[in-house]
Amino acid sequence: MKTRIGQLALTVVGLFAILLLTLAAFRLPIKDSLSLIVHGAFGDKFGWSRTAVKSIPLLLTGLGMVVSWRGGMYNIGGEGQFIVGGLLGGWFARWGIQAGLPPAFGIAMILICGAVGGALWAALAGLLYVKRGVEVVISTILFNFIAIQFLNWAASGPLQEAKHQLPLTDLLPDNWMLPKFDRQTDLHAGVFLAVLAAIAIWGFLYFTKAGFKLRVVGENPRVARANQIQVMRTKMLAIMVSGALCGLAGGVEYVGTAGQLGAGFSQQWGFLGIPVALLGGLHPLWAIGSAFYFGALFSGSENLARFTPAGTTIVYVIQAAAVLGYVAMKALNDRRITPKEAG
Amino acid sequence: MLEVRNVSKRYGNLAALEDVSAMFFPGEVHAVLGENGAGKSTLTAILSGFVRPNLGSVKLDGQEIPLGRAAECKRIGIEMIHQHFTLVPDFTIVENLALSRLPKLAALSKVEERAKPSLAAAARLGWEVDPAARVRDLAVGEQQRLEILKALGGDALVLILDEPTAVLGPDEVADLFRVLRTLRDEGKIVILIAHKLAEVLAVADRVTVLRKGRFVATAKRDEVDATKLANWMVGEMPQPPEAGARPSQFQPGLRVDQLVVKGDRGDLAIRGITFEIGKGEILGLGGVDGNGQVELAEAVAGVRQKAAGEMYWSGEEQMPKTGYVPQDRQTDGLALLMSIEENLLIGGVREKALTRGPLLRTKAIRAWAKELAGKFDVRGGGPKDPVGALSGGNQQKVVVSRALDGGPELLVVVNPTRGLDIRATQFVHDTLRSARDRGAAILLISTDLDELFALTDRRYFLSRGALVADAGALSVVGG
Repeated sequence: MKTRIGQLALTVVGLFAILLLTLAAFRLPIKDSLSLIVHGAFGDKFGWSRTAVKSIPLLLTGLGMVVSWRGGMYNIGGEGQFIVGGLLGGWFARWGIQAGLPPAFGIAMILICGAVGGALWAALAGLLYVKRGVEVVISTILFNFIAIQFLNWAASGPLQEAKHQLPLTDLLPDNWMLPKFDRQTDLHAGVFLAVLAAIAIWGFLYFTKAGFKLRVVGENPRVARANQIQVMRTKMLAIMVSGALCGLAGGVEYVGTAGQLGAGFSQQWGFLGIPVALLGGLHPLWAIGSAFYFGALFSGSENLARFTPAGTTIVYVIQAAAVLGYVAMKALNDRRITPKEAG
Repeated sequence: MLEVRNVSKRYGNLAALEDVSAMFFPGEVHAVLGENGAGKSTLTAILSGFVRPNLGSVKLDGQEIPLGRAAECKRIGIEMIHQHFTLVPDFTIVENLALSRLPKLAALSKVEERAKPSLAAAARLGWEVDPAARVRDLAVGEQQRLEILKALGGDALVLILDEPTAVLGPDEVADLFRVLRTLRDEGKIVILIAHKLAEVLAVADRVTVLRKGRFVATAKRDEVDATKLANWMVGEMPQPPEAGARPSQFQPGLRVDQLVVKGDRGDLAIRGITFEIGKGEILGLGGVDGNGQVELAEAVAGVRQKAAGEMYWSGEEQMPKTGYVPQDRQTDGLALLMSIEENLLIGGVREKALTRGPLLRTKAIRAWAKELAGKFDVRGGGPKDPVGALSGGNQQKVVVSRALDGGPELLVVVNPTRGLDIRATQFVHDTLRSARDRGAAILLISTDLDELFALTDRRYFLSRGALVADAGALSVVGG
């Protein structure tokens, strides 16, 4: 336990140091920049709301990555699963609104459609791996591109808005959106869903047979096999749960924030799930903190970008530096606990 | 002359070589003989500079060789021909030959020119090679020729061949030996690592025997025969402690009938073998690694599907609760970064008492893991510590205790004491004996002859996926 607190402290200090170094590299005034970042992220209720709203898709896709990576399936396709989840939700919404379904039921169904869509999209990559040995690292990336094309096609084709002028779907009516806490801010009820999902995934990984088997398969599939754990079935489960979480993120984004689908629907949320999961040590509860950190970093650095000559570049550099720095710290840490017995 | 003086090499607690001395003369084929784990490979790795010994020195013609520096050793004429080929499959023969005479980065590669000495050697040895052929199209025997030719591309004084016959057919072995004699007659020091007695007797001029990392004897070919070498290799044949006290009749347990098992690449790893193990009996299966041991173990343990044949338990097709100790604890036995408790649970997750529906009963698991670790005396960490932090012996205790938990009626155990020290070995052996005494049928697959003789009632040997009976045991191991 002592070492874990030490690690946490080290991580926090390290991330802060990386942030300072990045600012210094851009020759930005450290103190003013930090205050801009902090203000952007936590300065007022708008800041808090921006941070939290960004944390929601980050946490859900991050959890998706946690599950698949723990199961040894290196899913890079969160982006595609996010989009397909949103798309299936959008398809249901178009049908459901015309059919006059009750909004609460409609919202629930959109979220379910999101999870199902993401799971099925991920299952394609899973099947290719299980049946034909195609590496998911490759296939899931490629499926991302297909999903993006699907989205573009749907938004300018079958799901296009009524006037057929913009490559966007119709905006959802207000009562088909997740409830918001405050009229002035964007924070919506999806935040509960995301935190609940984190707790559920934690319970799944550490307190169920299937979750335990998933972790064994991810840690060492040969051991799993020698003990009659179904490796391929478990890996399939891992990537489908992962896809469901990413798809759910897409559904939540659709009924929580975006309200319509189009080329800009996903702000790379699927990809950003990976650093969230890594910074969270592939642990679902730590992922809450890491999603919040990245959410704050995004809203904070966006604010910084508004006031500095470096512009939006700084947003991406800060994010990238945080991820790289974290990976380096992790590598250092792992080196200390390598097994004693040597060949 | 190559002179090895008091060389020792330790890996952690394990002594791979202990105070070994030997002399290798020009114009001789000198075989180094020993079982698996005798230290042969460590010795060659030291001679060729791949491993640096902890103690001792090696001199070539009176000059100290640069220990632990492979490239330097090659430069002064010590060439190693590895058991596993070091060829680039997509390169042509010429390119592979040139690769072993790599110029400095800035220089031109001049592939043809650099391959010339090797090709000349091929002509001298009577080998026809097509310089433009790609290596991946070559048969295994041809690839090995290429390895030898690579070694002959410079001014080699010493040629070390690590178990070169393991992959060859009989004709190819005969041709290899012809070439070794030719090279010997050219005045080179030829060092042959082997564990097949017949081959050693056929080609060697001098033999050195190692056992468990120690020097046993050196003799000229004329002074030894197969029996003598075998005795040197395995030492005094150990007797089972309670020989004679063991019953000769057992309740029928496992019966394996014409079992065929395929390897990972679809090859026939086990070619229709039949045997029985009684309840309360340990059946030993010896033989050199790679003769189908792993595939057989996995099939019997229910991990790998059989391709044909039948297995029965007490006459029924339903197999009993089976414990499995796989061959390599680090790759197949343990998830090194997971905790001791979790590693035990990998087997225990099937137990009804530890789960409730789809859920794990964490408290019950904790108590159970604690008891199991205590029973098998796992030391060096608590249940929550990563298993990778334990010593090798304690790691193996985790694997063994997991396999034995719940009193399996059938046990499949592969090389259970490889790399363990004497105390840990003794512990594992005692554990297996007590499992036997409570009536388990045990299949013990081991490359360690001492272990087989110490533990088993009956023994077979696996050779290319087939069983060979006990009587010819040593000659099978020998060749």
